[in-house]
Amino acid sequence: MLHLLFAALLLALPLAGFAQDQAFTNRSTELKEKPEANASTLATLPENTGVKVVARAGAWTRVEAAGRTGFVRVFHLRFPATVEGASSSGGSNPFSAIGGFLSGQKSDDRARVATTGVRGLSKEDVKNASPDEAALKSLQGYRADKPAAERFAREGKLAAVKVADPEGDNKGERR
Amino acid sequence: MKRAMILAAGLACATPAFAQLDFGRLIDYGRKAVDAGGKLKEANREFSQDDEIQLGDGIAATLLGASPLVKDAGLQRYVNRVGRWIALHSDRPDLPWTFGVIETKTVNAFAMPGGTVLVSRGLLDQLASESELAGALAHEIAHVVRRHQLAAIQSSTNSEVWSSIGKDVAGEAIARRGGDTFGLKSKAAGLGIDAVKNGAFLRPLDRSMEYEADRLGVILATRAGYDPYGLPGVLQVLGTLKGDGSGVDIMATHPAPSDRLSELEKVMPAVEGYANQPRLEGRFRQVVGSAK
Repeated sequence: MLHLLFAALLLALPLAGFAQDQAFTNRSTELKEKPEANASTLATLPENTGVKVVARAGAWTRVEAAGRTGFVRVFHLRFPATVEGASSSGGSNPFSAIGGFLSGQKSDDRARVATTGVRGLSKEDVKNASPDEAALKSLQGYRADKPAAERFAREGKLAAVKVADPEGDNKGERR
Repeated sequence: MKRAMILAAGLACATPAFAQLDFGRLIDYGRKAVDAGGKLKEANREFSQDDEIQLGDGIAATLLGASPLVKDAGLQRYVNRVGRWIALHSDRPDLPWTFGVIETKTVNAFAMPGGTVLVSRGLLDQLASESELAGALAHEIAHVVRRHQLAAIQSSTNSEVWSSIGKDVAGEAIARRGGDTFGLKSKAAGLGIDAVKNGAFLRPLDRSMEYEADRLGVILATRAGYDPYGLPGVLQVLGTLKGDGSGVDIMATHPAPSDRLSELEKVMPAVEGYANQPRLEGRFRQVVGSAK
């Protein structure tokens, strides 16, 4: 019972930092009642159907669409910031998707707008930095050894499984 | 007989230091003869795992100079446990794996040669579960396992300088940047510091390396017992972000999330059977939520 209550609470939590809750289907897909492939289908959503994202839940995303709340497979959604293909060629301007209202501003101003006054890191901050050896030592003081990591996994009921890497883990091994 | 022994002892005592160095050089020449064809291969052989770790230390210390650690020991230990548990399922389980959260709103994560991984508070704030954190860390761990940053730094470094690092005698203090007052004295650490300061470290990796780290990352997180959809979840939320124009955020240093998701979708059938493994939203919120 407590377990159920906890689960319900988690579902009800708003998504952390979801800048936009709007998404679109990237193919025709089914809105399922539960996050399972064989759950009953509430509606079939054609490609480019707008949905409101409620929560991410592993392979499934909880959404509101067609007046119902249900689950859509995570890979069947795309998100507005990437709709324009803003940076899909790698080095292109990540702001082109919102270039409309930011055009004409200098890049520094854009950065300020985008971070809304919160301190971010700039390339200059990084290039002008002096190595902080004391901070490195303190970082290294937080390391977890193998027994600590294994204990932590047990506490979380994480059970190791064997999954082969099709590319072979030794790829890139140069020795 | 006794005389011969004394003579031998005398020779051993008298052997000057440069003779030992010459001997080292002879070994190097031998290697060069063996590897005559491949310059890259030769350089890598001389660049040891210790060099790789020191190189990473130089990078990490400099990044920490730009952005301090979040002052929350509980949070730092938590990311170390998640990260080490995943790394134990990689091909390089015994590196001195070190994980940290840096105090910046810029959304990104950085992997350093030798096994240090830094994630930003800005990235952590976007995540919803431990399986998503595991996905992000596993992507970075995969970069280290496949030595992607090492290859990138090598390709941007003069080959003479690079091969000199393998010959850098351990304990030989390089009197640079403050000499004895500064402990990152090896040539390799110095190269790491330079790689951050000259911008080489922040340059985007090849797209193929990013896709490879995504694929291996999903496999490593799954092996560690997490829901394989953690990394796709991270990419999904990154797809809602627009970058902060700093040149340091994840949008500037990685392919578009939509492209990464398209690539990653191809490997998901291999791990579909593990989709019910834990996501641990509760444990994540307990630690990360209280750190805000």
